[in-house]
Amino acid sequence: MKSNCRETQEKVYRYLDSEMGPYRRWQVRRHLRRCPPCTDGFSFESSLKQRVQKGCVDDVPEELLTRIKAFLGQNGPTDTSVDPTAGGSDV
Amino acid sequence: MADQVTFQSDVEEFLPQLYSAALRMTRNPADAEDVLQEALLKAYRGYHTFKAGTNLKAWLYRILTNTFINKYRQKTRRPAEVELGELEDLYLFKRLGETGTGGASRSAEEDALEQFVDEDIKNAVEALPENFRLPVLLADVEGFSYKEIAEIMDVPIGTVMSRLHRGRKQLQRALWRVAEERGIGTSS
Repeated sequence: MKSNCRETQEKVYRYLDSEMGPYRRWQVRRHLRRCPPCTDGFSFESSLKQRVQKGCVDDVPEELLTRIKAFLGQNGPTDTSVDPTAGGSDV
Repeated sequence: MADQVTFQSDVEEFLPQLYSAALRMTRNPADAEDVLQEALLKAYRGYHTFKAGTNLKAWLYRILTNTFINKYRQKTRRPAEVELGELEDLYLFKRLGETGTGGASRSAEEDALEQFVDEDIKNAVEALPENFRLPVLLADVEGFSYKEIAEIMDVPIGTVMSRLHRGRKQLQRALWRVAEERGIGTSS
């Protein structure tokens, strides 16, 4: 494998995740335009990402949904001391 | 500041995603229900601390992730972080390509992806060690940015990137095992 290919393939996730500055994106695109095998590889990774997303969808059981709606509808006064995003011990 | 009165209608659209994420985290429906309900209760009680106009989805996932970690991490004192050595980039693509017909169509590897059933994908994600599973879930399934994942998991962004990288490769290895067993990607 050519070193340009290796360098480009190392960046596949940052590229597909849009976690790359414009200059580096441009460098990757420039390589892909000239390299069909890397283009296929990037396309595959992109499809895999979509396949993983599609494969991880579950329906909420109807019974659970009903229960959630019931308890959200009947909850008591606000507990103002709690920041729910804070880590640490369990409530 | 968000109004508790609108909580239910505000979060409703996220319930299916949150439930799916809880399932991947806990790997069983009973625990997923517990985690989701507890997280929603915390979110409801603390909804006044949510700044309206900021990212509600990320806020909810942070609560869900915290709830999961607090509830279940004690059970396994040391989260399994298996080092399998570095896998090459585009691992699955290259493996599928090796077994395919030489002059196959350009999208032969991508066609192979469609031969996996959803259960294969779920099993592969759930088989990842927790440290890797969460970033993969948050990035690939939920589409969060690295920065958002770092905030949700409360770890540095560099840690997110390395765990995501390794987690995705382990996922590819798991899928490759399934492909080998079932003859996916081999010429028919």
